[in-house]
Amino acid sequence: MVEVKLENIVKTFDGTIALKGISLHIKHKELFTLLGPSGCGKSTTLRIIAGLDYPDSGHVYFGDEEVTYLPSYQRGAVLVFQNYALWPHMTVFDNVAYGLKIRKVPKEEIKKKVEWALELVKLKGFENRYPTQLSGGQQQRVAIARALVVEPKVLLLDEPLSNLDAKLRLEMRSEIRRIQRELGITVIYVTHDQEEAMAISDRIAVMNVGTVEQVGTPRDIYERPKTEFVASFMGKTNVIPAKVVERDGDRVTVEFESFRLDGLHYTEKSDNVVLVIRPERIKLRPGENTISLNGTVDLIEYYGFFIEVVGLFGETRIIARAISDKEVANLKPTQPVTFYIDRDDIIVLPKQNL
Amino acid sequence: MKVSKWSERFFGTPLPDPVVIVSFLFPLLYLVGFLVIPVLVMLGTAFKYNGHFSLYWFKSIFESNYYFNLHPGDYLVKTIEYGGKEVYHFYGWDFGVVPNSIIVSITVMILTTLLGTFFAFIMARYEFPGKNIMRVLLFIPLLVTPFVNVVVVKKMFLPDGIINWIFYEHLHIFPKPIWIDGLVGVIIAQTITYYPIVYLNAYASFINIDPSLEEQAENLGSKGFHLFRTVTLPLAMPGIMAGAILVGIFSLEDLAAPIVFQGSAIAKKLMSYQIYSSFVSGFAVGNPQMAALSLIMLAIALIMFFAVRWYVGLRQYAMLSKGGRWKPRVAKPKWWQALIIAFVAVPLLLITIFPQIGVVLLAFSKTWYGTWPSGFTLDNMKAIVTQPDIKRVIINSVIYSTVAIVIIIFLSLTASYASSRFKKAKLAPILDSLATIPIAVPGIVIAMSYFFFFSTVPPFKGSIFDPTNLLHFFPGAALILAYSIRRLPFAARSISAGLQQVHVSLEEVAMNLGAGRWKALTSILLPLISLNLLGGAMLSFVYCMSETSVGITLGSINSTWYPITAKMKELIIGAVGSANLAAALGVFLMLVQIIAIVIANVITKQRYSFIGLT
Repeated sequence: MVEVKLENIVKTFDGTIALKGISLHIKHKELFTLLGPSGCGKSTTLRIIAGLDYPDSGHVYFGDEEVTYLPSYQRGAVLVFQNYALWPHMTVFDNVAYGLKIRKVPKEEIKKKVEWALELVKLKGFENRYPTQLSGGQQQRVAIARALVVEPKVLLLDEPLSNLDAKLRLEMRSEIRRIQRELGITVIYVTHDQEEAMAISDRIAVMNVGTVEQVGTPRDIYERPKTEFVASFMGKTNVIPAKVVERDGDRVTVEFESFRLDGLHYTEKSDNVVLVIRPERIKLRPGENTISLNGTVDLIEYYGFFIEVVGLFGETRIIARAISDKEVANLKPTQPVTFYIDRDDIIVLPKQNL
Repeated sequence: MKVSKWSERFFGTPLPDPVVIVSFLFPLLYLVGFLVIPVLVMLGTAFKYNGHFSLYWFKSIFESNYYFNLHPGDYLVKTIEYGGKEVYHFYGWDFGVVPNSIIVSITVMILTTLLGTFFAFIMARYEFPGKNIMRVLLFIPLLVTPFVNVVVVKKMFLPDGIINWIFYEHLHIFPKPIWIDGLVGVIIAQTITYYPIVYLNAYASFINIDPSLEEQAENLGSKGFHLFRTVTLPLAMPGIMAGAILVGIFSLEDLAAPIVFQGSAIAKKLMSYQIYSSFVSGFAVGNPQMAALSLIMLAIALIMFFAVRWYVGLRQYAMLSKGGRWKPRVAKPKWWQALIIAFVAVPLLLITIFPQIGVVLLAFSKTWYGTWPSGFTLDNMKAIVTQPDIKRVIINSVIYSTVAIVIIIFLSLTASYASSRFKKAKLAPILDSLATIPIAVPGIVIAMSYFFFFSTVPPFKGSIFDPTNLLHFFPGAALILAYSIRRLPFAARSISAGLQQVHVSLEEVAMNLGAGRWKALTSILLPLISLNLLGGAMLSFVYCMSETSVGITLGSINSTWYPITAKMKELIIGAVGSANLAAALGVFLMLVQIIAIVIANVITKQRYSFIGLT
C-alpha cells in the first residue's frame, strides 16, 4: 500500500513563494494529476515528492513513513522528466538497467527485467540503440521503462507528453493509462493540459499560484468547480459576473445586466459572484425548469458537428454550443435569439481576484 | 535523515553530502592556502619596516625618480648613426618604472585591439580566395615560444633586419632604415605575441552576433561603416574588451620582451623586469621594496580586471536575441576592401607569423647576423635528445606539468561542479570569484609572493621548498602550485562549458533511480564531460610546459630542477649561438602545442549531441 500524503508544504525560491502550504492525499493505485498553468507550483510539488527539492516546511509521507528529507535515491519515487533525461552515452539497455545495477541486481535478472520493461513499453529489440537514434515517442518510452524497471512505489510523470506531436500524445496517453492499470501502481502526473488531465486521471488537483484550488474526479471538477479559477481553467466556459440580490435559504436570486435569475443554488457569503455556465448546457429550445435569456446573435462559429452561437445580452457575450442542425445553422448575426438554461446548470461561485 | 540549515546555506543542499562539501572546500582551501595567504604574507612584508606597520617601502617607490619621473628622459624616435648609415632609432620616453609599465600595457592593449579586431572582422564577414589559408596562418602566432620569438622580432626590426630589407632596400617605402629598440621594441614584440588573443575573442563575438540585428539596421537604412560603428561593434565590444584586458595584464607581467631587449637600459625600467631582477640579483634577501612593487602591479592588474568585468557586466546583450543557430553574414569584399585585405591584412599577417617561422630558422641554423640566418645544422635539434642538461629540463617540465594538470583537472572539476550545480549556496559566489581571480594576478606577483611564503612560513621555512636554501631548493612544489592556480580560470571555464551542456536532469534522474551523488557523478557526469576534461587537460599541459614568470624566477634558482623556460632564458642571455639551442626548445614546444591542440580539436569535435534539451 503506497499512499502519498503531503501536509502543509511550503517552498520558496529566492524570496518568492512557490508553494503556499499545500496538502494532498494520494491513494494507493491511483492515477493522480496535478493540473495548473505554468508557474502554479505543480512541478515543484512533484520534485518535492521525488526528493529532488526539499520543502521549507511541511511533511511528505509515503504510507506511514515520513520521507520529507529522505534523499531521492532512498525513496522509491521515480520521476520521468519532461525532457526524458536519457543518458546519451548509454544504450537503451544500459539506460534502463542503470537503476538495477545500482541495486546490485544479479546480471541474469537485470537482463530479464530490462526485457520485461522494454516489452511493457513495446520497445523490444531496441536494446542496443543509442537515445539519439530514437524518435521522441520512443525516447519517452525508454524513460518510462527506465523508471518502471526498478518497481517504484510511486511513478512520477512530469509533463510526459508535452514534447510529443498531437497524434503521439493521444497514443502515449492511453499507453500510460494501460501500463498503470496493468501494474497497479500509484502514479502522480503533472500537466497543464486540462483535456489530457481529464482523460487520464482518477482524480485531479487543480493548482493555481502555489495553492490547491480543488481536488476531485474529472467529472467533479468539470461539472462542479468550486472556484471561479477552476471553472475557467477547465475548458471553454461562460463566466458571467453578477450580484446576489435576494437570498432564500440555499437558493438565491442574482442580477446581471438587466437580467434577473432566481432559484439558483448558492450558500457562500459574498454577494459578488460569477455565474459559470458550460456552453454545451445552454439550449436553444425551452425545456423543464429552464430560465430563458433574450438577446441577439453576435457571431456564429461553425465547427462541423457542432456550432457555437455567441449571443449578446446587453454588453455580455454568452456562448452556447449546439449540435449542428438546419435551424441553428441558419441563424444570422443581429437576429434575436433566446438561450434556455436549466437552473441546475448554472453554477454560482464567489468572485475571485484572478 | 538530518536536515541542516547550515548545510543549505553554505553548500546549497539541506542534506550534508561529502561530495558537495569536498567540491566546495577543496578548491576554496587550495586557493586560500596557495593564493590568498601567500599574497597576504607578501602584503605583511611590504607594509612592515623595522618591525612596525609602515608605508616606508611604498614611499620609497613613489618618491624615487627611478620609479616615477614626470619629466620624461630619452626619446621616442631619433635619427642616429648605425654602421655608417643614418637610421631612425625608436626607443621610448622614460617616465619611470611604474608609468612605463602602464604606458606599455595600454599601448599594447590598443594596438592588439586594432589588429585583432581588424583580422577578426575580415575573417568573420568576408569571403575571399585564400581565406582558409589565412585562417590556418592566423593560428601560427598563437604558438607560444617563450623568449625566442622575441629574439626573432628583435632581429626583424634591426637596421639590417628583414623589415628594412623589404621596406627600405627593396620597396623603398622607408626613407631611412628603422631600428626598433627599447620600450618601443617591447611594445611591438608584445603586440605581435598577444594580438591573437584579441583576434580569437573578437572573432567569436562577430560570429555570435544575430544577423537579424544587422539586417534590421540595414533595413532601416544604415550601411557601411555606420552600420559597423552603431550596431556590429557595440555588440562585439564586450568580447573584444575581455580579450584586450587579458592582453593588458599579460603585457604588464611579460618578462620575455624586457629580457630580450635588456640591452637597452630603458627596457629594464618596467615593473616586471624590476621584480624579476631582484630574483636574479639576490635570492637570499627578500627585498620588501619588491614586495611593495609587486603589490602595486597586482593592484593595477586588479583594477583593469574589475573595470572590464564591470563594463562587460553592463553589456550582457548576448541573451537578448533568441532563436536557433544562424548562418553568420559573409559577403564578397568590394574592390577597395579587397585591396585592404591584399595589401594591408596579408602583409601584416606575414609579419606577425614571421617570429614563429624565424624560431624554426634559428633552430636549424648556426648563426643569425644581419637579415637572414646562416649555416644549416641539425645540431640544435639533436641536442634536445642528446644533451643531458636539455633532456633534464624537458623531463623536469614534463613531470611538473603532469602533476599540475592532475591537480588542475580536479580543482576545476570540483569548482565548476560546486558553483554550477549549487548556485544558491552562500559559498558559490565566493568560490566563483576566487577561481576567476588568478586571471588578474600576474605570474611574477605569484612568484614573488611564493618567495616570501615559502621562505618565511613554517613548515616550509628552512625546508627544501624554501627558495633561500639555494642549491638545496626544490622548486617543484612552487611551480606546480603556480601552474595549477594560474591555469585554473581557463581550465574551469572549459569544464564549466561542458557542465552547462549536461542538463542537470541527467544527474537528477540517476539519483532519483537510486544512485548516490558520487555514483551519479562518476557514472553520468564524468563520462559525458570526459572530452571536455581531456581537452582541458591537453591545453593545460601545453600551458604549463611554456609557463614563464614563475619558471624563470623561482624555477631558475637551482639548475638541477630547471623547467624548460628557465633553461631557455639562460640560453638566450648567455653565450653567442646558444639562442639557437633555445630556439630548438622553442620548436619542441611548438610541436607539443600543435599535437595537443590537434588532439584536443579532434576529440572534442565528435561530441555527443545532447537530446531532449530544449
